[in-house]
Amino acid sequence: MPMFKLDGKEVPFQPGDTIIRAAARAGIDIPHYCWHPGLSVAANCRMCLVEILPEPGRKALSLDVLSWDPASGSLRPKRKPKLQPACQIPATDGMVVLSDQSPHVLEARAAVQEFLLLNHPVDCPICDQAGECKLQDYWLAHQRTGKRMRDEIVHKPKAVSFGPTIVYDAERCIVCTRCVRFCAEIAKDPVLEKRERGNLSEIAVSPGRQLDHPYSLMTEHVCPVGALTSKDFRFKARVWFLRSAKSVCQGCATGCNAWLDFDPRYQRAYRYRPRDNEQVNGHWMCDEGMLSYRSAHKERIVDATIERKQVRVEAAIARAAELLSALPLERSAVVLSAQHSNEDNFALVTLAKSHLGIGEFFLAGKPWGEGDAILRNADKNPNTAGANDVATTTPPRPFDQLVQAIEDGRITHVIALGSAVPMDDERARAALKKLRVLISIATWDGALPACGTVVLPACSWAEADGTWVNAKRIAQRSLRALQPAGNARPGWELVARIGSSMQFPMKWARLQDVHRAMAPEAGAIAAPSPEP
Amino acid sequence: MNQEPKSPAAESAPQPRRGGGIIGKKLPRPDRSPSVQSYVPEIAKGMGVLLDHFFRNTRDMVFGQRNDPVLEALEPGINTISYPEQKRPYPERFRGLHRLTTREDGSPRCVACLCCSTACPAQCIYIEPAEYPEGDARRGYERYPARFVIDELRCIFCGFCVEACPCDAIRMDTGAHAVPYDSRDQFVYHKDLLLSFANRRGDHQTRNPRAESPDPGWPGIDRLGKHG
Repeated sequence: MPMFKLDGKEVPFQPGDTIIRAAARAGIDIPHYCWHPGLSVAANCRMCLVEILPEPGRKALSLDVLSWDPASGSLRPKRKPKLQPACQIPATDGMVVLSDQSPHVLEARAAVQEFLLLNHPVDCPICDQAGECKLQDYWLAHQRTGKRMRDEIVHKPKAVSFGPTIVYDAERCIVCTRCVRFCAEIAKDPVLEKRERGNLSEIAVSPGRQLDHPYSLMTEHVCPVGALTSKDFRFKARVWFLRSAKSVCQGCATGCNAWLDFDPRYQRAYRYRPRDNEQVNGHWMCDEGMLSYRSAHKERIVDATIERKQVRVEAAIARAAELLSALPLERSAVVLSAQHSNEDNFALVTLAKSHLGIGEFFLAGKPWGEGDAILRNADKNPNTAGANDVATTTPPRPFDQLVQAIEDGRITHVIALGSAVPMDDERARAALKKLRVLISIATWDGALPACGTVVLPACSWAEADGTWVNAKRIAQRSLRALQPAGNARPGWELVARIGSSMQFPMKWARLQDVHRAMAPEAGAIAAPSPEP
Repeated sequence: MNQEPKSPAAESAPQPRRGGGIIGKKLPRPDRSPSVQSYVPEIAKGMGVLLDHFFRNTRDMVFGQRNDPVLEALEPGINTISYPEQKRPYPERFRGLHRLTTREDGSPRCVACLCCSTACPAQCIYIEPAEYPEGDARRGYERYPARFVIDELRCIFCGFCVEACPCDAIRMDTGAHAVPYDSRDQFVYHKDLLLSFANRRGDHQTRNPRAESPDPGWPGIDRLGKHG
């Protein structure tokens, strides 16, 4: 692999790499605003300027400048090297680049910082980017001086609503055009553009349009400063109070990798941020997915019920075990859920197939929705592939066949995982009400728990570790962020407790116990695919 | 426990004595004469000191020579303060109970940035931010505290919140300290109570004003007019 030298360190690169990309891959950070690994190069922020030494025997590219000489108190002509943007210059073999080691680069960074902050309102206390703002980080790292301009700053529009999700503040904007490039290149909807020039330039929405494409929240995420803020998150929390958990988006079968940001003090999730994974989502997520963090708290089932009466979870488990021990096998069915993790589905399959001997499997989940060619999948369930995999020999059948069977009177007893049904809700409810016994293990309100004889509260994805298989059949592990809401417990644990109270060998106390049980027959689905 | 076999040499060695009773100087028993046992001379001595102070204070009061008990008096004499009717003045920079300063229109100056609760080492400040209602001039620019709660029992009065506040919205210049209450939850001060406190001059505003909504220096104003 060809190499170049960055601050005396050998950095390998692939042909076509720019200096900054090769450095980023090697884990070296060259300060930058406008460069983003997933977007085209704009080279307009000038923060990534580096000094490239001339080849041996050739003259350095240099500029005549006047520099202040404090000794004589006057400006003196001087020569200094011409710096070049690391985001735009392709790396070549044997190139020698100075970044942190060049005094000219350090001077240029401080100057660029001062320019970028020249007309900045410095309203960090009321800015939602504070704490994760590149201007703050780089001021501390590269400037550390006040600005010398004493004039009133240029005032520009503030709190401009760009659309249903985004608010724009032109005074905080450094016009790096990341949002413009994102809309044009990734979202394929060039709705943003830069207008005016110099210190009056700002981002504008196309006349007659709004920033309302399905990836609008990503413009806020790519914004390195507080110019674009999301209406959903702004004014809600301060980022330094939030902790992040490695999560997998539950919005659709794409299974985008995400950070679930939550406040551990109030046990509340505040937002989703994309987590880079080239195999799955690159650097991006859709609006629907980014807002799906809300379902960690919305419409949750947090208490066990028997016949609509709230009971303790132990009592509900005992009642479920009692009902299951008197099950007419030929008229019983099991519903797996594409909204639940592999572990939950595996636990139910183990109980139903290996121990109870039920052979009828059906698959529930949310109905399909809109998809596109960028990220969004029409299948709005995060684990359809995984739930199908778990029941290896008897793949689950579509849910409407179960409803048909109930309407015909062939099925009277059902154990169901999951909440929503992928069909007409009214018809499903009418059919499910006919059941003699419906044991429902559910996280959210829906047709299944609404008709359940015994309802057990299951943890959401944010409250338990789990493995999810996306549409590309990549198994991904998502980690717990929050404490279980109310009396909720992980789905596999509820199933295992029902099983062990029926004297079946399902004494699983931890997720590792489930994984150990999964290994022999299910193989790959227990282990997440390797991360890049 | 390790039980090592004792060597014969260790057994025969002389053991130092331990716990050999109280060793000290013997004191003579106090004099138990009738004058001591009856306490009469000692009581008379004590009454003498008391009456001495009584007559001296009375004389000082009658002739107006008594020190002002409220002011810090370095002169000799008895300075009795009838607390809480009389109080020693606290120093100018005394950190007392918190107050929330207001703008000229009476609304809280606080923008719920949570800098104070971040800086607070005792974690006694809880703020719930909210957005101004539709139609308010400040909607979209700033937020305000829907709830602002300080637990004065947990507070260690370090003043970090005052220093952290970028808007001069919280101050500790009330010159008062929390009075004793009946229950702990009465020490949990909410926004309205904190706003009702004034500084020592009876002022609810801050002495460090900044540009506010109608002023031209307010950052929220679109001066160019042609944008929007």
